[in-house]
Amino acid sequence: MFKIPKGKEVPLGCVTPAPVGEQPMMITGNWREFRPLLEPEKCDLCMNCIVFCPDACFQLDDAEEKVVLNEKYCKGCNICINECAPGALTAAYELDFDDGVVRLDKPF
Amino acid sequence: MAKEMMLSGCASSAQAAKMAKVEVISSYPIRPYTAIMMELSKMVANGELDAEFVHGEGEHGQLSIVLGAAAAGARALTGSSGVGVTYAFENYSPIAGGRIPLQMMIADRALDPPGDFGSEHTDAMSCRDQGWLMGWAETPQEAFDNCLINYRVGEDHRVLLPQFVCQDGYFVSHIPGPVSLPEQSQVDEFLPPYNLPHPLDPKRPVSHGPQIRPDQGTIMDIQRAQAMLDAPAVIREAIDDYNRIFGRKYAPFVEEYMTDDAEIAFFLMGAHTMTARHAVRHLRAKGVKIGLVKLRFVRPWPTEEVAQALSKFKAVGVVETSTSYGGAMRGGNLLHEVRASLYELPQRPLTTSFMAGLGGEMVSLEDFYHMTEVLSKAVREGKTKKTVYWVGFEAED
Ligand code: SF4
Ligand code: SF4
Repeated sequence: MFKIPKGKEVPLGCVTPAPVGEQPMMITGNWREFRPLLEPEKCDLCMNCIVFCPDACFQLDDAEEKVVLNEKYCKGCNICINECAPGALTAAYELDFDDGVVRLDKPF
Repeated sequence: MAKEMMLSGCASSAQAAKMAKVEVISSYPIRPYTAIMMELSKMVANGELDAEFVHGEGEHGQLSIVLGAAAAGARALTGSSGVGVTYAFENYSPIAGGRIPLQMMIADRALDPPGDFGSEHTDAMSCRDQGWLMGWAETPQEAFDNCLINYRVGEDHRVLLPQFVCQDGYFVSHIPGPVSLPEQSQVDEFLPPYNLPHPLDPKRPVSHGPQIRPDQGTIMDIQRAQAMLDAPAVIREAIDDYNRIFGRKYAPFVEEYMTDDAEIAFFLMGAHTMTARHAVRHLRAKGVKIGLVKLRFVRPWPTEEVAQALSKFKAVGVVETSTSYGGAMRGGNLLHEVRASLYELPQRPLTTSFMAGLGGEMVSLEDFYHMTEVLSKAVREGKTKKTVYWVGFEAED
């Protein structure tokens, strides 16, 4: 009776396979108005962003000795910016980036 | 052989839960439904029933416990009354939307203020649009039967919805009536083991109730709407099987009594139907062409069946035992749906509603005779004066 457009299907009761690493069905990157922008030369690897991000968007790249942002899941709450003591993170308008995502549109 | 006993609605409900082999029960005390849990806790303590019996710290906790249990693959049962039912409200939508077919037995009770403990349908009726099956029992026997029927329908993979199995507090929950207890083998034939297609399972990890995107919300709603659309056919199948296996004569949705050639009829559900039957019988003996139609499921609402059953009358009195303050009919909840069901008919009966049995008040034979006069007058005059009559409290009829 109903027609669900292709690619819009939702599993029964929205029960999804438990994510290993990323949850591709629950992407939240398209919520943000601000994107945290990292200036690597100011970063002292204090790990605050890794600890405080509620969505675990920051990860440590051991080999390169730097923190990396997973933009797919960063919802733009700016907590990391607040917690970054040396001021290595600043809030930039998402739509100033060439690949900027329009809020609540489906970017990925 | 089935054995016949005199049991209250609470006792018969506990017997039904035992025969359904419920595996997890969560309780929190509030009268009048508590008696169901008193019976079940005795059964568990005596070793008659092999189930986990867990106490919630309140009704919200109670519903969370059975949600987890049923999601993990156990047939689960809970229950409540009155403000206990509304205290758990937040959980009703996630349970239905997550498609977890647990059962909640409600022995209804008036909502506060100020702590009336009498029967009234408003507690459960306030929760009717969350995607749960819902219906009332008229007798302890029907309370027993509805437990099994609802588990079977709710757990069917074409439905997968939780169930509010309701009975009027005191009138049904605490007054014993004859109950025919079947053999366990009959119940086993009717009710297959609980089998959730999407259980929590350490071997196959899944997320239940995850955060979803806004564009997934409508589709989740459509899933639930579809389950409600699919439920009636499953209910019909289940009732056919139930009648065959247990020797009952239930109609799936609306039951008619003395409606042949009737010009006026009562439309109602639950305990007061019994008094209404006697009123109809007495009135028939005096030559009044009256009958009654009893509703067995409020959700899914049987639109076609109601239209078909009521279309043959000249006037229908909907007896409301719940409130809908400020609603279109200015009275209860049922007349809204009755009128909506009749709307497409080329010829509609006159309809009005009677507010009766609120706060646990009894609805007497005299009350039904009085309603009959109002309906007869409407037929004579070709119109109803009001959409709602508060029985016994109208300055003029
Ligand atoms: S803005 Fe919020 S979500 Fe994005 S990385 Fe920082 S803390 Fe995480
Ligand atoms: S909080 Fe700032 S300084 Fe600390 S690791 Fe993150 S970006 Fe670097």
